[in-house]
Amino acid sequence: MSREQRSLEWTPLLFSGGLAFLLFTLFIATMFGEPPMRAGAMIQQAGGVELGAANLVTAVVLGYRGLDTLGELAILFASATAVGLVLSTQNGESDKQASVFPDKIFLGEIFESASRLLMPLLLLLGFYIIIHGHLTPGGGFQGGVILAIALFLPALARSGEIPLNHATIRLVEGGAGTLFILIGLMALMQGESFLQPLLQPGEIGALFSAGSLPLLYLAVGLKVGAELAALLVHLSGESA
Amino acid sequence: MHAENLALLVALPLLTAFLLQPLSQKFAVGWLAPLTVLVTLLLTLQLGAGVMEQPISSVMGGFVVPMGINFYLDGLAWLFLIALQLSLLLLWPRGEQGQSVRVQVLMLLLTASSIGLLLSGDLFNLYVFYELLAVATFGLVAAGESRATAIISFRYLLLSGVGSVLALTGIALLYSHAGTLNLGHLAELVASGELVLPLSAFLLMLLGFGVKAELFAVNGWVPEVYATLSPRLSALLAGVVSKLALIVIVRLLVLLFPTPEASQVLLLLGVLGVLSGELAAWRAQDLRRMLAYSSMGQLGVIFIAFSLSVEAGLLVGIMLSLHHLLVKPGLFLLTEQRFQGWSMVLFILFALSLVGVPPLPGFWAKFALLTGLVSAGGWINSTALVVFLFATVVEASYLFRVVQHYHQERERHQERGRAAVSVVGQDNSGVWISTLFATGLLLTAWQIQPISDYLQQLAVQAGDRQQLSAIVVGVTEGRP
Repeated sequence: MSREQRSLEWTPLLFSGGLAFLLFTLFIATMFGEPPMRAGAMIQQAGGVELGAANLVTAVVLGYRGLDTLGELAILFASATAVGLVLSTQNGESDKQASVFPDKIFLGEIFESASRLLMPLLLLLGFYIIIHGHLTPGGGFQGGVILAIALFLPALARSGEIPLNHATIRLVEGGAGTLFILIGLMALMQGESFLQPLLQPGEIGALFSAGSLPLLYLAVGLKVGAELAALLVHLSGESA
Repeated sequence: MHAENLALLVALPLLTAFLLQPLSQKFAVGWLAPLTVLVTLLLTLQLGAGVMEQPISSVMGGFVVPMGINFYLDGLAWLFLIALQLSLLLLWPRGEQGQSVRVQVLMLLLTASSIGLLLSGDLFNLYVFYELLAVATFGLVAAGESRATAIISFRYLLLSGVGSVLALTGIALLYSHAGTLNLGHLAELVASGELVLPLSAFLLMLLGFGVKAELFAVNGWVPEVYATLSPRLSALLAGVVSKLALIVIVRLLVLLFPTPEASQVLLLLGVLGVLSGELAAWRAQDLRRMLAYSSMGQLGVIFIAFSLSVEAGLLVGIMLSLHHLLVKPGLFLLTEQRFQGWSMVLFILFALSLVGVPPLPGFWAKFALLTGLVSAGGWINSTALVVFLFATVVEASYLFRVVQHYHQERERHQERGRAAVSVVGQDNSGVWISTLFATGLLLTAWQIQPISDYLQQLAVQAGDRQQLSAIVVGVTEGRP
């Protein structure tokens, strides 16, 4: 047995020992009972009134911590771009990338018809969840994933054939991110801070309320949906 | 210029990054990304006008501080912002790799996240920018031509992922104790004695953020990645990007964990980093690997410096960081082609400064560390001192082995009647950019007195917790 192999045998033991120690320390250091809520209590008091969002989570995600959300969108975007870059360089000169989907196979009448029927319904559901993000649980991230599923389904049923052209996907991908930043910059131009909520908070619980937060969520939803769809395009092997 | 414009420094690169791909279908956009960095550089210069007297803070969305996220610009952040953006402009990928729109997009995301890391005054927001930085770097590492890059970037991804989990756990632990994530607010609570944060939170965050700062035990990715990346990107990562995570760690240490235990952990990991890095560099057979290992050692030295008392530690640490930021990119750029004439002169200049030969800035930085360690006393600091001196000897030995090696090779070439000239038409831009870094180094050597006075002021400001809390809390007053 070589030296390297022997050291490899020790690695899992060391790793689990370290992990056990880590969890033990965390257990000791965690405060059980009622942890202090310095920022949290303030947000719970002010959130609903200040922003007019019935769903307090939305007030936090898009209002108080809007910059984090923008950062998360950028992370998703960076991952999709990196995947595209890796897949296009791994396949060298050829413009056509290898597809992860099998070649044309007919999956049966029921499957194909179902996928065709479900797609508009899924799109509707996705947009519904995005638009009601400031009222009910859900919002841009969840709705965006459903939008992406609506595009995944026909692709699965018809061997990687994507109902949207990838120039469109790229346009939505860039456009939605731009919309988010532009809404933030508009506040800045009016002499306020970046990402300050615009428009009137309105009546809590109404569809048109919470100022510019629903617009931001729409941008988030489109961005998430387009990002996942772009990944699908890369994996299905179309030259992007 | 009002403070709210701080957000533009992050928003503009992100905006260009989002727009670049749709635009590239119609227009040639190669110039747009560097232009954005130039614009943010000019904005930084404008925003930083009065920052040495009065740091500025701006809350995103205009909320009261512990609820919203704030950006905070002081002298330290400003200086590194300038260094970051200048390095980015000089080391922006060009040629074949720079043609790809995706590489440009990733570089812009790298820019935005780096600026965010320097400015953000909120722990979770720092984590978000750190993740963005990590993902953008994975993409850039994986984009290399050779097939090995996929495996290397995957290993880097795993290590970095473990680091992120540790950092996030640390932040969560801290939040469960404090109930707030704002650095200014936390610093106020810690300074007034109202809050004692657990050291384990610091350790977790130290190891997590330490992955990018080449901290010992989580720096295994360094040699592989720097040896396969293009010299420009290695220069960028080793030069300025490694310092960003360092600044985050230092802010945590100074503001939230002013305890001797936290400093001792830093000192211990620093000493181990110096020993492992320098000895590995001494044994390395490949020039880029050698530079990568020595970079691990030098960051270890910087960690030792920051473990000194707050005032002395900040000054020496910043001096060493800036020195490393000038020298390492210069050295990495020289690996682009074979050594000859001018590039040999540059290599010797950088090597002399790295070892610490008197008129060069490296000497002053190392001398300051030496005096700091001696005056701190105690057996731990004395051990660190011995290790540091030993490392300097090792460093000198391997750097001049390289010089000797290339000198001999050149003589052999000349004996055979072949001049050791490079192929005509080769891209020499690396040497030119390296010359710029060398010029910066010589200018620093010439103006060493005013520069160290300025850094002294900077260190005092960065260590002033009361000023930070006053300014961050001051912003919240008078706002609804």
